Amino acid sequence: MATTKTDPDQRHNEGREPAKLASDLLTADDYHELLKQLYMARYFDVRLIKEKKRGRLRGTLYSSHNQEGIIVGALYGLRPTDWISPIHRDMPAFFMKDFRSGWDNPERVGMTIEEVCGQVWGKVTSPGRARDNWSHIGSRAKKIIHSTSMLAGTIPAAVGVTLADRLNGLDSVAVTFNGEGSTAQGVFHEAINFAAVEKLPVITIIENNQWAYGTPTHYEYSLEDFARRADGFGIPGLVADGQDVLDVYNKVCQAVEFSRAGNGPSIVECKTFRSYGHGDHDDDRAEKYRPEEEVEEGRKRDPIAIMKKIMVEKGFLSPAEAAKFPAEGKGASEVTDEDFPPEVVAYLNRGVESAVNAPVPEAHEGGMWVFREEN
Amino acid sequence: MATATETGVKKNFLTGLKEAIAEEMESNPNLICMGEDIGALGGAFGVTDGLIARWGRERVIDMPISEAAIVGVAAGLCLNGKSVMVEMQFIDFISCGFDQIVNMTATYHYRTAGEVNMPMVIRGPAGAYGGGALYHSQMNEAWFANSPGIKIIVPSTPYDAKGMMKAALRNPDPVLVYEIKDLYRRRDLEEVLPEEDYIVPLGKASVRREGDDLTIVTYGQNVYHCLEAAKNLEKEGYHVEVIDLRSLVPLDEATIIESLKKTNRLLVVNEAPMTCGFAGEVLSRMSEKAFEYLDAPPARITRLDTPVPWVKPLELFVLPSVEQITEKALKLIKY
Ligand SMILES: Cc1ncc(C[n+]2csc(CCOP(=O)(O)OP(=O)(O)O)c2C)c(N)n1
Ligand SMILES: [Mg+2]
Repeated sequence: MATTKTDPDQRHNEGREPAKLASDLLTADDYHELLKQLYMARYFDVRLIKEKKRGRLRGTLYSSHNQEGIIVGALYGLRPTDWISPIHRDMPAFFMKDFRSGWDNPERVGMTIEEVCGQVWGKVTSPGRARDNWSHIGSRAKKIIHSTSMLAGTIPAAVGVTLADRLNGLDSVAVTFNGEGSTAQGVFHEAINFAAVEKLPVITIIENNQWAYGTPTHYEYSLEDFARRADGFGIPGLVADGQDVLDVYNKVCQAVEFSRAGNGPSIVECKTFRSYGHGDHDDDRAEKYRPEEEVEEGRKRDPIAIMKKIMVEKGFLSPAEAAKFPAEGKGASEVTDEDFPPEVVAYLNRGVESAVNAPVPEAHEGGMWVFREEN
Repeated sequence: MATATETGVKKNFLTGLKEAIAEEMESNPNLICMGEDIGALGGAFGVTDGLIARWGRERVIDMPISEAAIVGVAAGLCLNGKSVMVEMQFIDFISCGFDQIVNMTATYHYRTAGEVNMPMVIRGPAGAYGGGALYHSQMNEAWFANSPGIKIIVPSTPYDAKGMMKAALRNPDPVLVYEIKDLYRRRDLEEVLPEEDYIVPLGKASVRREGDDLTIVTYGQNVYHCLEAAKNLEKEGYHVEVIDLRSLVPLDEATIIESLKKTNRLLVVNEAPMTCGFAGEVLSRMSEKAFEYLDAPPARITRLDTPVPWVKPLELFVLPSVEQITEKALKLIKY
């Protein structure tokens, strides 16, 4: 899965030595941090699945189970001042942005767990005061582009924020997260084409989980590696193993470095697999279109397990330590809180508690904020 | 109407727009212009002529033919502190950027509970009567009037064109400007514009002609059809009031209601198709809010519910005409 027939890195490497892997510079502490973040993203997802089953939440939950390596690996390669544009399946990205600066660092440029839980529970503590649902939040200050339902619809805005930053003399980049299905939207092409023309630092991450709702990739596009779509824009297209957080990190760092040097945008295709139905409304019927064997196969490469294995090989984790917190390979109904590091559980508990206790916005707010300047 | 200096040169509608944009570019370093062929060419009609020479590609960006990306990138610029003027080469092509306008831009302030506003002007040549055929003649303002979060203006004089464009470019919300291309260079509309900086505030209608027998509410180039009909009726001894809305969203209901208190009769005229058109909106609001002042059933004249055909007789057949307006006005007055 990690390899591709065409060398995805060739454009980067033309005329120079192959870049050193960004992960070579990571310390044992970084590895432990990345593992903990994988646990965090996983726990957030399975906990919400449970809360939803208990009937405590409204709306649809789009699970990021098994796709955490992409969120964690990509975010770890960014600076606090970089922009991100997450979508429905990237709920953890909203509060994990800039985790590298410290989960509870007040200077961190990312949402708090209280804000994100406030959003999920539909409370006033939501950054958007719960005016739109689930992943449809954002923050100008935290450099998170407000997501909408319109697939690929925020890529142009990502291009726009980098254009503004460049005019202001800043070298921040924008990373957009996109399902592979969304890439068939016209606006995907329009926006990336313009970013390529203007050499704007926009990194388009494709979370290729093999399915767009009930449609498999061979009905979505006609390419072996989606990343080759980049050739048509005249930009680099990289392929990463989405199950390997380090590979995602390396490829994203490579793309970011390329962008920051003024070379323009790129596409990073991360191959992964969607564990559950499209959304929780689809869990019980996904078997209509997706064979059970495929699901079993797809779930085998759990990003937590892969990271643990690498850490054991590197001597950063003893086999006994690796056996602790065995969340990997388990579905939401099989895991318990004991399968996760306690600090991860505590972090989310804090968010949930705050959300449960917060009030719902007052009804009349529904009529507010249509315009900034009402006449 | 303007506080024009006696000695000044008369200017046309297009010059009013051009000056407005150039002056705002000068006074607001955060303002960026985007659109197709707006650089060296100066836009299909010349509204952005000279901008690139003065401010360069950094602030005057020739865009690929990608209406959705143009609006969407503009939204990103606004999100990150800029103001943007977007040119649609023809307002007909705005449909290709529809989603980015109604779902992305128009909702931004609402869905962020006021955190983010979108100071974006989207403007473009619009309107029929000129032989532009199906895709270079539209007035599709109703699509956007039905999408909360967008202000819509349709100036009809050079003075308003300049003053409203300046107001729009300073407005913190998305403003859609329908520029009637048949008015761009009309000689008989030329007027002296004030030397000093001025704006015409959005949301205020203008009474173009006073009268107490009938109120005609209209906008865009239909203003001139209605004024001509009013002149015809004057000869027969009837005094028709003509209100130029200028701004559809927000709508100046008060000016219409005040007029109806005096005339007790309402005719609405617009060149967009009838069904769910803006004329219908004015009628229903006045039926709700001014019913007791009305002595005749309120009426409208609109385009037929057809596209705009190309050759002249067909085109004129489907559009409101001076004759139609005169005839209908008489009926209402005599009702
Ligand atoms: C423009 C648009 N069309 C349709 C939908 C409905 N929809 C929501 S998610 C989805 C599938 C998305 O697939 P993909 O982009 O691969 O992302 P994934 O859900 O697999 O992460 C569809 C069809 C939508 N949200 N937006
Ligand atoms: Mg998918």
